[in-house]
Amino acid sequence: MTALQDLNARLAQKPAARLEVKNLCVAYGTFRGPFNAIDNVSFTVEPGTTLGLVGESGCGKSTVVKAIMNLLPEATTVTGDVLLNGKNILGLSDKALQQVRWTQISLITQSAMNSLDPVLCIGDQIVESILAHEKIPYGLAWARAAEMFAVVGLPAARLREFPHQFSGGMRQRAVIAMALSLNAGMLLADEPTTALDPIMQDQIMTRIRGIHEHLRRSMILVTHDIAVVSETCETTAVMYAGKLVESGATADVLQRPRHPYTMGLQNAFPKLPVRGTSRQPLISIPGTVPNLLMPPRGCRFASRCPFAAALCHAEQPELIQSSDGHAVACHFAERAPEFRLAARQAETWRAKEAAI
Amino acid sequence: MRAYILRRLAQAVVVVWAVTTIMFVMFRVMPADPTAVLMERGMTDAARETLIAQWGLSGSLWDQYLRYMGNLLRGDFGSSFFYRKPVWEVLWPLIGNTLWIAVPGLLLGAFAGAALGMLVGWSKRGGKIERGGIFLATIIRGAPSFVIGIALLTVFSSTLGWFPGFGMGDPGPTQGFARYLTLDFLHHLALPLIAVIIYFLPENLLLMRSGVVENRTEDYIELVRAKGVPSSRVAWHAARNSLLPLITWLFPALAETIAGIVVIEIVFSWPGVGRELVLAVTRQDYPLAQAAFFLLAVMIVLANLAADLTYGKLDPRVVYK
Repeated sequence: MTALQDLNARLAQKPAARLEVKNLCVAYGTFRGPFNAIDNVSFTVEPGTTLGLVGESGCGKSTVVKAIMNLLPEATTVTGDVLLNGKNILGLSDKALQQVRWTQISLITQSAMNSLDPVLCIGDQIVESILAHEKIPYGLAWARAAEMFAVVGLPAARLREFPHQFSGGMRQRAVIAMALSLNAGMLLADEPTTALDPIMQDQIMTRIRGIHEHLRRSMILVTHDIAVVSETCETTAVMYAGKLVESGATADVLQRPRHPYTMGLQNAFPKLPVRGTSRQPLISIPGTVPNLLMPPRGCRFASRCPFAAALCHAEQPELIQSSDGHAVACHFAERAPEFRLAARQAETWRAKEAAI
Repeated sequence: MRAYILRRLAQAVVVVWAVTTIMFVMFRVMPADPTAVLMERGMTDAARETLIAQWGLSGSLWDQYLRYMGNLLRGDFGSSFFYRKPVWEVLWPLIGNTLWIAVPGLLLGAFAGAALGMLVGWSKRGGKIERGGIFLATIIRGAPSFVIGIALLTVFSSTLGWFPGFGMGDPGPTQGFARYLTLDFLHHLALPLIAVIIYFLPENLLLMRSGVVENRTEDYIELVRAKGVPSSRVAWHAARNSLLPLITWLFPALAETIAGIVVIEIVFSWPGVGRELVLAVTRQDYPLAQAAFFLLAVMIVLANLAADLTYGKLDPRVVYK
């Protein structure tokens, strides 16, 4: 058996990881006081499954990922627990953290454009991630990098090239290859297709799904594209203004949403027209996200919610999980079927817009 | 690549020619008469005319210029009015003396500046290291080089008496190249060398620091951190990228600093090219001054070329056409 096969076999034995995030809170220090970017977020990723984390821009999706990776700036206050295979990785020492990073949890970054060092060839950047954790010769690490390039469909010869010689899609694939280099049990994909054109987005997502089937890693997929979530993820968590508003099995959350925000989010995405039915117009959610320097007393979505009542403005709803695992943070979750019907009408949202 | 270098060299020749011409004209339109400074009293008019002809100062400006350029092309810089011997013989030993303080001084200044700049840039934002580093660097950067020299002389030579205050060596039996290998020479070298290092270091430090500060918030640094490499390696990535602007500035600055070493040579009475240049200008010694300026021009042009070529080695995005 060659050294490379040996290395591959050893890395392939790594089990998929289980990630449990409990009561995660992140506050950025600003001149005008703490900015609570993440407020009490909890979710679990079972081994070998993919969790879709959705929400509009600025809702804190990427902050959750960075908090899990311990990549937030020093001035940030992070509380709660991030249990990776039962072990809390928040607040680890630099040394201990170095050993966890990439061996157990790796990252596919948001903007592949700037995620690679411009003056090092891509092969060396992948090799760097391998040699940081494996005591193996350079040549062997390079061979492993070539294999990872093959997994994402890039020719090994291009390992010697520099980031500026790659197209956006190729760079994104190189970043994915790098994330796979040590076959970490947990992959965090932070909007891996945001900067790409729709055709390339589809190619990359197909590639990620293929890799997921093949390697069976656990994954968090951060995106604002609901279609991608429905195709890729077993479970879905919806975030709004730094809070988790709804989570559960993807089919439950997307087809029978219980939170008005999820209902609104769905309306905002184009659907393929079905023959014989009328074309559904895109409906946007009126209003803007509240200022988190001065978060509202009640539900954070109340100011934009067409179904908001006095209670919503006064009291924060708790995230309550029902027996089927579907959790929602809404005072009127039991009226969800009624809301869903109303939410499909553009008139409902337009009335709210007029009220704002 | 070869075509690029050839084209740049051709440009360099044009630049050096232009500088030489400007220098030639400038010295001759200056309202001063070298013969008045350098000729002995009581010289007959005939002897005076002969001397002027010998110096190449007879005929129209145009004739003088053609003669000067013709000699220059043959590698002849003419003879010094003051020393009464070929310029080359005067300058040649001085070039070595200047290089002894310039090369180690600039190298150490650049390396120490870059290393300290990386440290300051990577330190906690707004922390003691950053504030102290910027404060010191700015103070020293703001001080003229003679102030640094005088301060060093006052403290280490006059007050403490640790180092000699002037010259390149005590009078002694050792001559020729061997005198550069004595402890006495190193003893004399120390203060002017330190002055050059201190003079050159702060700008390197500040440039490197701002580069590292800019790079440490880039996305690629975040990914490098996520890979779980030691933090020194993360800092290396930021420093490697910060080298690019530093190099662009460094090489031309090297040449300019060699010119700036003039002042340090004078403060420490170091017998180098710079000191001789100043003396030659005050003595109206045209050939010597013009040759010294010619040397500086060549060095600055070559340094710029070296900067562009090094830049291509450091940054894969640069392509020579």
